[in-house]
Amino acid sequence: MTVVDRRPNAEAPPPGLPEESPLKLSTKSTSLSRHFRTKWQLWVMVAPAIGFIGLFMYGPMYGIQLAFREFDFAAGLAGGEWVGFKYFRQFFDSPQFWTLMRNTVVISVSTLIVGFIAPIVLALIINQILGRRKRRFMQTATYLPHFISVVVVVGMLQVFLSPSSGVLTRFLRFIGIDGVNFLGDASAFVPVYVISEVWQHAGWNSIIYLAALAAVSPQLYEAARIDGAGKLQIVRHIDLPALVPTMIILFILNMGGVLATGFEKIFLMQNPLNLGVSEVIATYVYKIGIVGNQFSYGTAIGLFNTLINFTFLVITNEIAKRVSNTSLW
Amino acid sequence: MSGLIVFAVLYPVYFVVIASISNPTLVATGQVAFIPQDINFFGYQQILEDSRIWRGYRNTLVYATVGTALNLFVTMPAAFALSRREFAPRKLLMFFFAFTMFFSGGLIPTYLLYRDLGLIDNWLVFILPGAVNVYNLIIARAFFENSLPEELFEASVIDGASYFQFFVRIALPLSMAIISVIGLYYLVQHWNDFFTGLIFVRNNEIQPLQIVLRDILISNQAFAGGAGGSGGSGGGSYAQQFADQIKYGVIVVSTLPVIVLYPFLQRFFEKGVLIGAVKG
Amino acid sequence: MTGKPVRRAQSYVAAAAVLALGLAACSGNGGDDSGGGSGSGGDDVLNVLVLKHALTGPMEGMQWVSELEEQADVSIRWEEISADWDQAKSTMLAAGDIPDLIVGTNAITDSDLSTFTGLFEDLSQHMESLPNVRAMFDEIPEMEVMAQHSEGAIYALPGYKRFWPETVTHQYINQEWLDNLGLEVPTTWDELFDVLVAFKEEDANGSGDPHDEIPMDWAPTGSGGFGYFQPTVLMGSLGLPLTGGGGPGYFVEDGEVKSFLVDERYREVVAFLHRCYAEGLISEEVMTQDYSAYQSVGRGSGDTARVGLSWGWTASDRFGSQLAPQYTAMAPLLAEEGQDESDLTWTYDSYGENFPQNQIVMSAQSGNAEAALRVINAFYDQDISLQVLWGDMGTNIEQIDENTYEVLPPADGETDPSSWKWTTTLADNGPTWIRDDIDVEIPVDLSEAVEEAEPLEGALANMDLVADVFPWQFITLTPEDQTAVANRDVDILGVAMTNWGVWITGGGIEEDWDSYIQQVENSGLNENIEIYQRYYDEYVAALD
Repeated sequence: MTVVDRRPNAEAPPPGLPEESPLKLSTKSTSLSRHFRTKWQLWVMVAPAIGFIGLFMYGPMYGIQLAFREFDFAAGLAGGEWVGFKYFRQFFDSPQFWTLMRNTVVISVSTLIVGFIAPIVLALIINQILGRRKRRFMQTATYLPHFISVVVVVGMLQVFLSPSSGVLTRFLRFIGIDGVNFLGDASAFVPVYVISEVWQHAGWNSIIYLAALAAVSPQLYEAARIDGAGKLQIVRHIDLPALVPTMIILFILNMGGVLATGFEKIFLMQNPLNLGVSEVIATYVYKIGIVGNQFSYGTAIGLFNTLINFTFLVITNEIAKRVSNTSLW
Repeated sequence: MSGLIVFAVLYPVYFVVIASISNPTLVATGQVAFIPQDINFFGYQQILEDSRIWRGYRNTLVYATVGTALNLFVTMPAAFALSRREFAPRKLLMFFFAFTMFFSGGLIPTYLLYRDLGLIDNWLVFILPGAVNVYNLIIARAFFENSLPEELFEASVIDGASYFQFFVRIALPLSMAIISVIGLYYLVQHWNDFFTGLIFVRNNEIQPLQIVLRDILISNQAFAGGAGGSGGSGGGSYAQQFADQIKYGVIVVSTLPVIVLYPFLQRFFEKGVLIGAVKG
Repeated sequence: MTGKPVRRAQSYVAAAAVLALGLAACSGNGGDDSGGGSGSGGDDVLNVLVLKHALTGPMEGMQWVSELEEQADVSIRWEEISADWDQAKSTMLAAGDIPDLIVGTNAITDSDLSTFTGLFEDLSQHMESLPNVRAMFDEIPEMEVMAQHSEGAIYALPGYKRFWPETVTHQYINQEWLDNLGLEVPTTWDELFDVLVAFKEEDANGSGDPHDEIPMDWAPTGSGGFGYFQPTVLMGSLGLPLTGGGGPGYFVEDGEVKSFLVDERYREVVAFLHRCYAEGLISEEVMTQDYSAYQSVGRGSGDTARVGLSWGWTASDRFGSQLAPQYTAMAPLLAEEGQDESDLTWTYDSYGENFPQNQIVMSAQSGNAEAALRVINAFYDQDISLQVLWGDMGTNIEQIDENTYEVLPPADGETDPSSWKWTTTLADNGPTWIRDDIDVEIPVDLSEAVEEAEPLEGALANMDLVADVFPWQFITLTPEDQTAVANRDVDILGVAMTNWGVWITGGGIEEDWDSYIQQVENSGLNENIEIYQRYYDEYVAALD
């Protein structure tokens, strides 16, 4: 049996399937009943998911209108006075708006890019370069940090990067690099944040790629080796193509996170010296919200954020559909 | 190269372990680097004596097992159905699902809904609302789309197999890798879930492990700003000493089970397993 | 991070909707089996949520709890929370789903009380059912003023702790280092500077390493304003009266509300601190360290101290019991020689410490209002109040006669008294009325704090309690004002805290000052001052 690169091909019918196959919905089909007659099993399979999402996700969706209303406890969630875009304007007019946007985009985009590439590289290394035993060890080793709580990770950054006593600072001093203050220097904030994110999650995120690589037929590798291909060539011509569909899907999903940064870690890493680059939308909302019960304002900022992210997702999805024939919908 | 990666990745993990048995003052001032200092097991002793932890463990195990089973039961068939290109409504349905990754009604209406459904203070709140994670659904669907050879489907159609039969007999056995991945994702999601317990549960009897652990873990965060209310009246130093001692141990205790589980799943990511499964 | 951005995006939206995303947790033992089965209480079952310190043991382990149940003739089902309360709270309140009583200092804030109108019971109508509370208000009339919300309604009750010193921030210098170097305790900024230089350049702690001394260190300033144990108290040298260590910057001076963030005296202090920092006299991690590191460094190693001058609650809390004897509590510094000592001020924190706000609230929808009121009243009982604060009678407190008590040293013989208190009882988180007419021998940690506040008494006495103390506890903003002020403060502090850090470590305050003031004022500082002035004037008018 051969396993070839199977890019999804949304339009063309699967080869060899007769047009009138009961399992194929003809593009010219006019009859709904015919669709249900042939596809009811698929509907049954997807129905529970529709039910759960419909109930638990769409059920509370009416709460979004809070972004356009005053929060009025006595009048109920949907009963407050309609204020339109008041809270959106309030956010846009905030003297910190552009700083927040800039910081949020810088942090999330750097994290997205580095965080997107690292797991792929790691998966390729683990899968191809290493021997079986080393591979297992490396896989487990890189997977571990994912489970360390953010609070502890930030505490460890403090201990490792302390300008006077930090392990890393002392090591750098030992090899002749002096005077770096990773915690106090505002320009170090984003690199420290991104690198620690990659350290923590690259292993975990490489799992999905490893699973995709596991589906590559060994015969392909054998054939390549017989043809005299080196490891790098195998990676280039067999492994990478096998990862492409997964990469595209994850890339589309990642693009939906352009304005999404984690809250807790950034908040815990903030200090007066890096505040200029570390104040992001999430931390700002927290600070605004924690004192004043500002549900409407918070919902409005959240909705604004969501709209931007969703737009990016839709655009990326369209591009991916045209370019590679892979898409979310 | 890979040695360097392993060291860079593993050193902090090693640090967590030695820090959990070292004097917290020495840890915080950077005097513990490679060798544990002033070794004591005070932190572990405190953790293990805490009866809440054991109850939390038990609860989390139940939620994670039952929850993951339901997750897979709902997600995998749906992902398969949505992967079938001849299933015309799938685009619309994918949009229906993907939309909820971004837009949600917020916590208050969610709370009210759960209350009406009787899920507040009910252990099912850890299981039902998260029965499908759309992210995992998309991953699983992409896998079915790209890794299930279409020829197999054609062949089974010719043999007269229905969708159900094809899914159970061919698709699932061929998809152990993705089932393991998705299962792991769900399991870890349940394992780390503290938010559900925080917002929707007030009965301590059914709180999961993470709620108990977070309590211990962030107990000194209130003082991080320096102006902690009770910090002023003498709660501060105590919290700091005590919590620093325990926090690294908490990480070790709470992640051991998930770490131990991994090697069992690992074999599904080994090359050749799948093909072997089909042949056999 | 990759792989999870969407899940993150989703949770972000959820969090944004409810504002405070965050940390987590609650717990404790108890639940169902603490009340009914114990046989101590009556048939009425009440749900009581208690916000406690993370390390406080389960409620059912406290003896006074059964005494409370007995006195109020109820069984209590405790809901115990110690972390991430803000997150859990906002959903709970907004959904209108609260237990009969909520206990904990400021667990429910003034802002909650005015936002969620109708959710909490107005206790002023029930004073006949609350004889202990009535008596407390009669004894200490300020407390009733403090408790009153708009139009005389009382939704939350304060407590009275009586024995706390007037300030939380005490100032310490290492006497042993001074002695080693033959120096005197400094009395002015210049003398301090010279002493710190000596600490740095010579081997003050005798460790053999002349560079392991940190001449000066203070508690981390977060990004949200100032607090205890920070050098904002140096503004007292210039006569600027603070409360609570500074907070978002507002203070009152001669009846006028101002913000020190734009005050010349703040500029002088920052300039002085930069002079010290540039000389290497301040910990180079002062802006970046977390509270753990700050505390740990203060504890030195063995009997070798590392910090020269610092601020803290007590010497033994700040430097550990081993090093505490090396330190001496110090009077406020003069800004320059010859300055009149009657100009000096400090930070006045007594309202916050002795009159903790909003300690207990009652649900307006309580199914058993009578029982809930009985519980509130029982908390303010003489004996129960003492036990809530210091622990159980017998193990933690000895009653000598009817009105004489002694707080005992920790029963396990090794824990320090304040740790002991926080693990065994609600301590400062519970509602208490410590009577003025009883004798209590207070525990050593508290008497140490009182003692170490003595050098500061002169400066504190220079502050007029009405004209120079910002009355945070006595004013309640309307929700609109509260929101407006809070929003502007976030923007103001966003600018101010960054500059604070940059100016001290890198200098430049002289050049930046004017444009900085412009920026802060653009963020709405003057509007906030106006609002506070209005409330302050109303408060003063009500006093007459």
